[in-house]
Amino acid sequence: MSTEDKTLNALTRRELLATGAASLGLFGVARAQLPKEVKVGLIVPLSGIYTRPGQVMRMGAEMGIAHINAQGGVKALGGAKLKLVVIDCGDTTEKAKNAAQRMVANETELVAATGAYLSSFTLAVTEVTERAKLPMLTLSYSDLLTERGFKYIFQTAAPASVQSAIGLPELMKLAEAASGKRPQTVAMIMDNTGTSVATAKALKEKVFAQLGLKLVVEEIWTPPLADATPLIQKVRSARPDLLLFMPNAVSDAKLGLEKIKEFGLGQGRIPTVSFSITIAEPDMLQSVSPDVVQGIMSIVANWGSKGHEALINELKMKYKEPWMTQNAISTYGDMWLIKDALEKAGKADAQAVAGAFRNLDGAPAKYFPGGILKFDDKGRRIGAGVVIVQWQSGVPVTVYPPNLALGTPIWPKKS
Amino acid sequence: MKLFTLKPSVPVLLFAAVFAAVSLSITNSYYQLMMTLVLVWAVFGLSWNLLSGYTGLISFGHAAFFGIGAYTTVLGQIYFDITPWLLIPMGALFGGLAGLLVGFPTFRLQGHYFALAMLAYPLAILYVFEWLGFQEVSLPIKRESPIAYMQFADGRVYTLLALVLLVGTALLTQYIERSRFGRALLAIKQNAAAAEAAGINTFAWKLRAITLSGAIASGIGAFYAIVLLVVTPQSVFGMLVSAQALTVAMFGGIGTVWGPIIGAVILIPLAEVLQAGLGSRLPGIQGVIFGLAIIAVVLIAPEGLFWKIRDVVRKRRPHAPVVVEAAETAGPVGAAAPAFERTPATGEVILEVRGLSRSFSGLNAVQEVSFQLQRNAILGIIGPNGAGKTTLFNLLNGFLRPDAGTVWLDGRDMTGRKPHELCEAGIGRTFQVMRPFLRMSVADNVIVGAFVRAKTDQEARQHAAAAIERVGLAAIADRLAAELTTKELRLMELARALASQPKVLLLDETLAGLGSQEAEEVVGVIRRLAAEGVTIAIIEHTMQTMVKLVDRFLVLDHGAVLVEGLPESVTRDPRVIEAYLGKKWAGHADH
Repeated sequence: MSTEDKTLNALTRRELLATGAASLGLFGVARAQLPKEVKVGLIVPLSGIYTRPGQVMRMGAEMGIAHINAQGGVKALGGAKLKLVVIDCGDTTEKAKNAAQRMVANETELVAATGAYLSSFTLAVTEVTERAKLPMLTLSYSDLLTERGFKYIFQTAAPASVQSAIGLPELMKLAEAASGKRPQTVAMIMDNTGTSVATAKALKEKVFAQLGLKLVVEEIWTPPLADATPLIQKVRSARPDLLLFMPNAVSDAKLGLEKIKEFGLGQGRIPTVSFSITIAEPDMLQSVSPDVVQGIMSIVANWGSKGHEALINELKMKYKEPWMTQNAISTYGDMWLIKDALEKAGKADAQAVAGAFRNLDGAPAKYFPGGILKFDDKGRRIGAGVVIVQWQSGVPVTVYPPNLALGTPIWPKKS
Repeated sequence: MKLFTLKPSVPVLLFAAVFAAVSLSITNSYYQLMMTLVLVWAVFGLSWNLLSGYTGLISFGHAAFFGIGAYTTVLGQIYFDITPWLLIPMGALFGGLAGLLVGFPTFRLQGHYFALAMLAYPLAILYVFEWLGFQEVSLPIKRESPIAYMQFADGRVYTLLALVLLVGTALLTQYIERSRFGRALLAIKQNAAAAEAAGINTFAWKLRAITLSGAIASGIGAFYAIVLLVVTPQSVFGMLVSAQALTVAMFGGIGTVWGPIIGAVILIPLAEVLQAGLGSRLPGIQGVIFGLAIIAVVLIAPEGLFWKIRDVVRKRRPHAPVVVEAAETAGPVGAAAPAFERTPATGEVILEVRGLSRSFSGLNAVQEVSFQLQRNAILGIIGPNGAGKTTLFNLLNGFLRPDAGTVWLDGRDMTGRKPHELCEAGIGRTFQVMRPFLRMSVADNVIVGAFVRAKTDQEARQHAAAAIERVGLAAIADRLAAELTTKELRLMELARALASQPKVLLLDETLAGLGSQEAEEVVGVIRRLAAEGVTIAIIEHTMQTMVKLVDRFLVLDHGAVLVEGLPESVTRDPRVIEAYLGKKWAGHADH
């Protein structure tokens, strides 16, 4: 028995040694195949009129990559570090398209990319990345992006139609709770850009009727807005319970809000709501004083909120950004999403990463509001929600959903 | 003739062959896209050149046509599931229609006003498309039948397709350049009034040009949508799109097929290289460098690189020997033989003017002028400065409409007709201020005048050659007008008027600026023309020459006829001496 044991032990030991040697050898080979760094693309406007949001997205991406690398990189790839490849997509659809072509032709090592701020640019860029089979994350929220039957686009934000459908009812609840009265009438003044048009379409065709809201004023302008007087005049004479003000350029927002104040409708005399981050951008305070924007709310796809305090702080210290907009937080989250997909894929390959995106485990979404980290067949994040922010004393504060809220909403009372 | 038309196309085909060869060797999809875009913008530049380069009517709004084409492709495929193979020609058709619609009202405007009005069209359409909800339209991917929908995985196919469009457009442009179409456009560019007087229906030709130009711009816009994949109003109707056409054409050279091609080949890759190389490092700097490059070229070569290079090459080469026009092309066309003895007193009236009046806000420039011009006569029209001589000519050839009175030509009432109609009816004229087409040869200058009578280009060439022969310029027919002396230019203008085979020739100070020896030579030519059967009315200041030349004088003063009669009696008439000739002539009158 003992001799047998010994032989067995010896055998086992020999076997073990052999296996160990073999596995060491194998490991060595595998190590050689693992990349030291994995390239991730960021294709955003860095020249032209959309430079600023592009820069903020870059900040988010850089922070994300720094954090991932500091925490040991991609473990499934032996701790490979992520490397950001930045591509300027310019300020026109054609430039964006060309830049995307340049990205897929010249940066062949990319495993995934994110971009491109404006939905028109993202549309053009993804037409290229789809053909090149490069997975592309985006914070753009045009419905059209994920209605083309594409396989390589992954939209982290709730699409525009969903945003208004879930955002406005929440707003109504806020109003009812705070003022004791449910809004009955609504005025809508908007620019005619793609996002505004898509949002308005969803509102008019569905949401208003569901909420029993009556549309009393509807005015559309083409940016840049030259004079807001006639628009606001109509609002004043109609006296709606709710004003939906939808600009997509800071200058337009400024003109409209100042006119609202001038007409004595500001400070919440008529509760004003927007549907994009434009009205909550730090740039706003460069052109208007905090009291002009006080109380104004916006329904946005993502925002630096509760649980992101450390990030918001870091952004403040490192980049002097006063708060964290969708551009920064979503792009930061995208880096972690790519990292997760790489862990799942186990290799630095665009096809494998795309496959991993399609089969994510559905972990809780830490850097995106609502839902889980999983995409449906269209490439839309399942359960993606919205954030409502409100200007309070010169800062846009998250007031909804409760689990992300950093402040309580103030509902202006009609005097 | 065949050989002649083939020749200029050789460099175009050569360029296409080289471009195709380079394109086929490129596998990088990004560089391939650049190859395609160079061709797209070159064709767009050519379409702009066809209208603005040749007629000189600057269009700031070619994006209107481009965008119509682009939206034809996307909307046609999305809503009607039509293949781009059909949509591109359809887009061209829509663009042509749009050109017609735009041209009809807009050609009433001139110069800067035209340019500004054109600027408005794409901007207006841009808003319409935004209003219609076509902010972002993407071309659906056809995974089942990609080729039927012009969707190729290999970018080289797009480059080759664009190359076909470019070669087609370039050859068409070259063909037009040499045809009466092109000559009419060039004539309009250099002097719309002179062109009208030479019998060119400027409005009709301009309409044809904008229709064709719109069709080409729209066709290439339709193709561009396939390459761009996503169409937004800004990307096809935007200011930058219109500017792109101007930029490539002006950079490369206006009014030549090579201009837009040179411009696109240099500028499009340059812009991309700057965008790619500097865009992410020094954002925005690419625009600055691009702008500076254009400014530099515009300063050094204001007419574009092509013309600058051509001028340098021409200067370096010794002057080409004068090629004498082959004499067998045509003999004198005039019915009369040189030996024809002039009989001014036939009594047959060819031009009759009754009570012609025209005033400009209170100033009676021409009042109640009546006279008769007899066949084969030479009538001298004289009078002090401001007497209304040139205004009278402008009334006779249709530049101005008379307020009252009638003009009868060969028994037909021609009062108030348009210049080109009057030219067709047989009134030819030259101008006090010469308006030669400097970049064109003598022969080409004269051909412009010949088209009104000629049915074919061949016939026009013969008429022109005959007219050149008659004024004695046959030896220098191939020289550029810019190289001629004043006398030769005067004779060339005379030949241009003659090429329309006029019944009556109105000569406005044809001898101005000539030395006495040169004036003698020109007078000799005029005499010979009269002997050949041309009826002539001439405005002139050089009295001595006039007295020897004309059969009768018509003296105008303050817009009205002062005296009409034979030279001897007119020069002695005290009223004429008082009003016009002055004291110096009083002595002569006493003789």
